[in-house]
Amino acid sequence: MITVSWLIAVPAVAAVLLLLLPFGRQAAGYLALLVSLAVAGGVIGFIYRFEPLGGDQFGDNIAWIESLGVRWHVGVNGVSLAMISITALITACAIGYGMWAGRDRSHASFALILLTEAFLIMVFSARDLVVFYVGFEGMLIPLLVLLAAWGGAGRKAAVVQVIAYTALGTLLMLLAIAYLGFTAPGGPNFSMADAVGRGNDWVFAAFALALVIKSPLFPFHGWVLPAYRESSPEVAAVLSGVASKAGGFAFLAVLVPLFPAQAATYAWVFIALGTIGFLYGAFLAFRQSDGRSVIAYSSIAQMSFIILGVFLLDSRGATGATFQMVNHALVSAALFLLAGWLETQAGSGSFKHLGGLARSRPVLATVALILGMAALAVPGSSVFASEFLIMLGAFEHSWWLGSIVAIGIVFAAMYMLRWISAVLHEREGDLVGSLNPPDLRRGALLCLLPLVLCLIGLSIAPAQFTDRVDAAATALVSSAAKEAGR
Amino acid sequence: MIQGPSVDWFAIAPEVALIVGAFVLLLAAAFARGHERALSLILGLGTLIVSVGFSVAAWGDAPVVTMADAFRVDDLTELVRITVAALAALVLLLSVGWNRLREQGSEFTALLLLTCAGMGVVAGSTSFVTLFVGLELFSLSLYVLVAFDGKSRASLEASFKYLVLGTLGSIVLVYGAAFLYGATGSFMYDGIAASLAEGGSGEAVVTLGTALVLVGLLFKVGVMPFHMWVPDVYEGAPTQITGFMAGATKLVAFVALARILLDALPAVEHLWSPVLIIVAIVTIIGGNIAALVQTNVKRMIAWSSVGAAGYALIGIIVHGDLGLRGLVFYLATYAFTAFGAFAVIALFERDQSRAKGYATLDGMRAWGFSRPFAGMAMVVFLLAFAGFPPTAGFIGKFVISGAAVTNDYVYLAVVGVIGSVIGLAYYLRVIVALYDRSRKSDVGLPATPGLGGASLAILLCLAVVLLGGILPSLGLDWAGQAASFLTVAK
Repeated sequence: MITVSWLIAVPAVAAVLLLLLPFGRQAAGYLALLVSLAVAGGVIGFIYRFEPLGGDQFGDNIAWIESLGVRWHVGVNGVSLAMISITALITACAIGYGMWAGRDRSHASFALILLTEAFLIMVFSARDLVVFYVGFEGMLIPLLVLLAAWGGAGRKAAVVQVIAYTALGTLLMLLAIAYLGFTAPGGPNFSMADAVGRGNDWVFAAFALALVIKSPLFPFHGWVLPAYRESSPEVAAVLSGVASKAGGFAFLAVLVPLFPAQAATYAWVFIALGTIGFLYGAFLAFRQSDGRSVIAYSSIAQMSFIILGVFLLDSRGATGATFQMVNHALVSAALFLLAGWLETQAGSGSFKHLGGLARSRPVLATVALILGMAALAVPGSSVFASEFLIMLGAFEHSWWLGSIVAIGIVFAAMYMLRWISAVLHEREGDLVGSLNPPDLRRGALLCLLPLVLCLIGLSIAPAQFTDRVDAAATALVSSAAKEAGR
Repeated sequence: MIQGPSVDWFAIAPEVALIVGAFVLLLAAAFARGHERALSLILGLGTLIVSVGFSVAAWGDAPVVTMADAFRVDDLTELVRITVAALAALVLLLSVGWNRLREQGSEFTALLLLTCAGMGVVAGSTSFVTLFVGLELFSLSLYVLVAFDGKSRASLEASFKYLVLGTLGSIVLVYGAAFLYGATGSFMYDGIAASLAEGGSGEAVVTLGTALVLVGLLFKVGVMPFHMWVPDVYEGAPTQITGFMAGATKLVAFVALARILLDALPAVEHLWSPVLIIVAIVTIIGGNIAALVQTNVKRMIAWSSVGAAGYALIGIIVHGDLGLRGLVFYLATYAFTAFGAFAVIALFERDQSRAKGYATLDGMRAWGFSRPFAGMAMVVFLLAFAGFPPTAGFIGKFVISGAAVTNDYVYLAVVGVIGSVIGLAYYLRVIVALYDRSRKSDVGLPATPGLGGASLAILLCLAVVLLGGILPSLGLDWAGQAASFLTVAK
């Protein structure tokens, strides 16, 4: 029986092979794509066989570092399954886009994307704190190298910012994990289940800081814009689509269940930061003058909103947050790929030079419009369903929080509409006139289509998703909810 | 007639083998001029294998105390002996294509074997007298080895600096030992400990002696503010010797430091512990910041090894079971990480026509594409320095920080974290330079002489670093077993 360990091992081994063996450009691309599709196939098998009420499935639990009490303990519950699914999908699309765009030294860039995928799946399925940490810190390296070696002109400053923020937070989390594991009664033990409720406020703070930076939450979002803007489009898609979700996921699946008392006590901090980030990010997104910056700031806003949902500490908030993570992953990955495609075709992402692209480019207009509509959560879209769940939870929490959230959702509509009109409509931009970029065709379209189709599928049948996730998401916040008296 | 002390020859067999091997090699070379390289490789590696064989055979045995109780052979001694001999073997492998090995290989190899013998003596010392004998044996040999790149002024300069500062360190250490002898009437670690435990430890003589011993040892481990020799010597020495020093000298000096502080001076922990804490903080931050601004990769890693020494100090400060186990694991795996990194630099230097001072960030640009295996290995070694999974460096860092946070030294762990973040910044500069696409790389460099030996050395280091990170159980058990022979293992 295929367990989730296989989904970690296969891309990791493929990455090492790609790095070491002298593959040509074509061969490397096809091998990487094949591996990422194989992982996606494995995930589809998981979705098909998944029992919503069955707890952890497809797992392994074997001794790893015996003298330190570290075990290779992985498993998949509903929330993990959701995250692993988007990881597999977005990785495959990113590799496809990389093939289409034709990176030089492509075998190394594909290898690093596959390595990121392996570490991400590790994070999403870990049931042991050290396994979780290895994935969480491990993914930083391939992403940094991808940014540093294939990034845009401002990549050096971006790398420094990413290191300064995320590495510091991640390493503080290591100290928190070391404390939890080495002080376990009866010898060192890093099992997540055994660490529940043993941490004090400081351990909670160190842990939470890492996740706040990773997600990112206001005021630790400084690294996001340079990183998202300077990465190549497929890396930005992985970064904003999945890597940032590692932070949101860890809030829901690790921090809240491990520290129920602290999560209940300090929930207001995260709700406050989430609210500020949601409004502030949306406002900044509205002010940007190029596509990628709009999407980057909208990502900050959306992640803030998701974490706000987690810290509502009720079933609706948790399920809504998970759903929103998936939706936002699909939307932001697709938008980053699309924005990157536009930049390569039109030579610039700046709104000054774009505009009027809808004319005689029906496919591009349709795809952009679908993504835009999804991002601004028109009723009937899957994003609407997830935002509605979180909003319901927020109203349950208090009427004023619900009202603020509703205002934020309106903001989101504003910046997305502005993006759509600036790119597709209005006067024809000078670069559009001179370069006359083609319509979305074959290669690039093929990479975007799976993401768009998934969004449409989730919009048609959101219950397919929530039915699988609800039980796990509710269980994750239940003890913190009890502490909070809810 | 004075009766000599009884000697357990099996216990000291590894050192005896090394010394005998060194002299046999020198004698044989006198009769076989022109075969220097083959002779030094065969006899050198053979001697090292015999020596390691003796150590492995005695692994796990009950500790043996011999030479008038001044030398103890326990698993910690064995671990140091094995690691040092393995590094020396890697030095020989890396030197295969080196022209100096063809010219004066027998002297080079004999000195290397004597260095290993001296290091074994230091590792097992339980008395300041044996310690000093071992220290001088390996230091004197190393002074010459550092200068072995005869034509290079940098090499001679490095050797001279090392000689002056190393001797200064030794003198201070001996001076301190003399004060401790005056206060306690013993050169033996256990004798000093017993005397200090009985009498008050507040005497000025004890304080002075402890301070001087500490300064002498901190010179040897190369932590701030006694680090000035490290960057210069590491940069100037032949690169394989740099790797050997970064790995072996550091390990041995730390074992000596741990044995003295924990076996001889536990009663005055209140004196040395605060000093070490300050030194560790200054070293971790200072070493990493200094490395940040380097453009010569060899010198950069030299500075980073200063920072790493500061990190290892945390293990001694915390001590206890976890701290010491982490210390031994960290140092033993660090030895192979550092050697591997310097081996890659050595290979790079050989790829260039000019051999010295050329491993700059700029010079290394895009070299990773020309030598894919060495380039990837370098990435792994750098990540191990930075403590990233899945390398042995991560496990070492994890255990030491675990020991720190669970023993109320959280601030030291936080300082270590800050050092790691700074470290990541400059390690990444090297990685990015190695894989800089903006410069055309000459794909398919011609094979340099000794490429096979160097690649094998790199591969072996890589295996240790990755196995120590992916399947660290065995290594941690060995480290724990060795560390259990440090007395104050709580």
